[in-house]
Amino acid sequence: MANKSNIRNFCIIAHIDHGKSTLADRLMERTGQVSERDMEAQLLDSMDIERERGITIKLTPVRMFYKAKDGVEYEFNLIDTPGHVDFTYEVSRSLAACEGAILIVDASQGVEAQTLANVYLALENNLEILPVINKIDLPSARPDEVKKEIEDVIGLDASNAPLISAKEGIGVDDVLEAIVTAFPAPECNENVPLKALIFDSYYDNYKGVILFVRIKDGKIKAGDKIKTFRSDKVYEVVETGVFAPDLSPKNGLSAGDVGYVAASIKSIQDVAVGDTLINAEYPAAEPLPGYKRVQSVVFCGIYPLDGSKFNDLKDAILKLQLNDASLLFEPDSSVALGFGFRCGFLGLLHMEIIQERIEREFGLEIITTAPSVSYKVIKTDGEELFVDNPSHLPPVSEIEHMEEPIVKADIYSPPDYLGQIMDLCREKRGVFLQMTYLDKSRVRLEYNLPLNEIIFDFFDQIKSRTRGYASFDYELIGYERSKLVKLDIMLNGDVCDALSMIVHEDSAYTRGRTLCENLKEAIPRQLFEVPVQAAIGGKIIARETVKAVRKDVLAKCYGGDITRKKKLLEKQKEGKKRMRRVGNVDVPSEVFMQILKTNKD
Amino acid sequence: MAGIYVHIPFCKSKCSYCDFTSFPDKLCYAESYMACVYREMAMRSAELKDYVFQTLYIGGGTPSVIDENYIAMLIAAAKKYFNLTADAEITIEMNPGTVSAKKIQTYLKCGVNRFSVGLQTAVDSQLADLGRIHNLKDYLNCAKLLKGRNFSADVMFGLKNQTIADLEKSIETAAYSGANHISTYALTPEDGTPIYTEYLNGELPDGDEVADMYAFIVKKLRSLGYERYEVSNFAKRGKESRHNLNYWKRGEYIGFGVSASSCINNVRMTNTFDLDEYFKCILSNHFAVVNREEIDKAGQEEEFIMLALRTAAGINLEDYASLFGADFTQKYAKAIQKTREYVEFSPKTFKIKDEYLFVQNSIIIEYLNAGA
Repeated sequence: MANKSNIRNFCIIAHIDHGKSTLADRLMERTGQVSERDMEAQLLDSMDIERERGITIKLTPVRMFYKAKDGVEYEFNLIDTPGHVDFTYEVSRSLAACEGAILIVDASQGVEAQTLANVYLALENNLEILPVINKIDLPSARPDEVKKEIEDVIGLDASNAPLISAKEGIGVDDVLEAIVTAFPAPECNENVPLKALIFDSYYDNYKGVILFVRIKDGKIKAGDKIKTFRSDKVYEVVETGVFAPDLSPKNGLSAGDVGYVAASIKSIQDVAVGDTLINAEYPAAEPLPGYKRVQSVVFCGIYPLDGSKFNDLKDAILKLQLNDASLLFEPDSSVALGFGFRCGFLGLLHMEIIQERIEREFGLEIITTAPSVSYKVIKTDGEELFVDNPSHLPPVSEIEHMEEPIVKADIYSPPDYLGQIMDLCREKRGVFLQMTYLDKSRVRLEYNLPLNEIIFDFFDQIKSRTRGYASFDYELIGYERSKLVKLDIMLNGDVCDALSMIVHEDSAYTRGRTLCENLKEAIPRQLFEVPVQAAIGGKIIARETVKAVRKDVLAKCYGGDITRKKKLLEKQKEGKKRMRRVGNVDVPSEVFMQILKTNKD
Repeated sequence: MAGIYVHIPFCKSKCSYCDFTSFPDKLCYAESYMACVYREMAMRSAELKDYVFQTLYIGGGTPSVIDENYIAMLIAAAKKYFNLTADAEITIEMNPGTVSAKKIQTYLKCGVNRFSVGLQTAVDSQLADLGRIHNLKDYLNCAKLLKGRNFSADVMFGLKNQTIADLEKSIETAAYSGANHISTYALTPEDGTPIYTEYLNGELPDGDEVADMYAFIVKKLRSLGYERYEVSNFAKRGKESRHNLNYWKRGEYIGFGVSASSCINNVRMTNTFDLDEYFKCILSNHFAVVNREEIDKAGQEEEFIMLALRTAAGINLEDYASLFGADFTQKYAKAIQKTREYVEFSPKTFKIKDEYLFVQNSIIIEYLNAGA
């Protein structure tokens, strides 16, 4: 068998926008994996959304060959990872498949919140870390200070860190050489039963489920009978291969390799990402240590705009889930919106991206409800339950108390914006923990914040209040008892379940007021007057009125106008079809998202 | 029942709200244009030989702006090429700024028996704002010439700076001048007209103010003895416009001239809006139709309902049953249930309640697509 001492499996970690995908492109170009002619900016970001937003969402593996200065040709397996705070889970998956991580730090911005978070993840996975300082071509680059920052804040030796500009192609050879020396070759034991980590998967219309695997022990080839550790279904391997960067068949993978396996797996629920792939005839006894099960942080309801498209929506979500194991969902129904799904996401960006992908990739129009977090409810009879859907909250009389998820937030910022950040955190019920000066131009603020205060617009707010200079990361630290109430919205006297939300008592009044005001603007006038009320329990706390429509008629309609007038009426009917009926009130679909705007003024 | 419509696209000047087909600077083409209209009638004559027409409506533009002898020739042509009944309603639209005793005498002599006069408003400053060429005095003169005749006056509401008192004055002017039919139109700011700018700048009354004006109009006209028979039309008993009623009953009609529309045998046709193209077509013996649409059974039914619900009488249930072979109450049970507070039945009709006629769209749409 091939010698595995010349294989290097690694990933690149960085704060968002520090140049991860650009460096990956450059490495591929330098190793001749793609010619310069085929080079498209950010080759690994293959989704439209990724290119448009300039972010990486999916992890994408690729294999490269590099002839090092010692004359040996090395095989590099690179797994590109997402940088946004929401996608920590995906990062941890790719880390588990590697031995090393390149840590990119921006030469002018220095260590950022996400940099740190990703480094800790890599250290937890026992990875070797190679710091690389990028964007040294920028006038504002301060590589020496940044090196010192890496040493002081992270505690990594950065004295030999390559100074590069991925964009300009400076220093890329140094990085290639450092990969060879800094990262260990994979440990490989081919003569033991197969153990492969499934670190990602996606659904291919022709080949069925494609599993992305890192072979840890043993080997696998076409014709092998395989199964996963947690399921008993047995499949026959149809094809194995590597990423070049498109799928490129290669018969047989063995310990140390990163590649893919296709085994005519049709049912997308049968293979869980994070599970261990084993040989069905010679099963390994122990699974690989899986990584943390994905934890949904933000929840919202997704409903088809056209109620009859429920099954299409179901298909779409199932297919997306196969590509994105962090998307959780269960069927749900609402009086106002009919049948749909309650979905769990890693964060707000993740939620937005899933919504956008459903609409774009599957051509479905959807209604989404306001995001929520998962609350812990302790009932008077001692029972504890988690509720992420306000309409599933037990009656007030049965609730002893409620607890809400709390995060510890790290905010990195130049000192000039401390006041603004502290104001924002105070508004969001934050508890100040400590402040550390990293150097004279950077401060780290630590706060405990209720998650439900940051899921709306905290990220936008922090960016706008600090002109984009601050960065922010958070981790869940647990639940705290809190005075929470369910805020209901009543339209013409009927509670609209899809508009209910759980809020802190102190902000309930303001929130109710704003909601009523926004709804008054958003709900079109009907044939009768519609009171819009916010209520807690049975108590009305705010009211607005949508006046009855008084003019809704087509002016003159004679011989020449009939066709045009009929079209106008049909258009009006179309518009009405896009609305949902709550009691006897027609509510435009957008209204259910409108709630989001409450915090934006 | 069937009607004939003739479009005269000439005007002295374009009003600031007008988006009809009219050419203020092309009066010199009137003679050639009318010749083409007569010819177009001749071209349709054979095809429509089995039709009996009970109305002829000459609209515009401003039909009264052209030489009255063309109108006489037009009516003669209509009678020559089509079966126009002896008691046919023959209406001509007039701008009060373009009339004379001689004109009216000619109209009467050649068979016109109904006049539609554009008063619009009795406030001169508002007439000027609208770009009308006439003033209140012109209207009063015109009405004097029409004294004792069968004539209608148009009144507009929702005008810039218009008050209820202004509106009252306009209505009283129309009523006291002898009009036995009054049409009231809410100003509709169409994109591309000068008035649209005023609309965009919020200078026009809003929907609620317009609704107040409409409510006032209905009340005022009733007190003066005019009954609403369609959302915009009021008449003394028996003085309803037969030509327009035909549209709302989804009757057949044939249109002549530039931009004119027809609906014959469930085919809707529209003539070109371009004057030159109209000339070219007719002079080379081609119809000037630029849009032709066959209306299928479902479309016919939608049109029938949408048009009938504009009228105060509503849908005649027997007519509906004989036209579409179904029981309206059964077929539209769902829509009726959904809109039950806004509609009412009499033994033979189904209608939108009087107080909801001005918000009829959201009710009517429940009845489109067979109530789906």
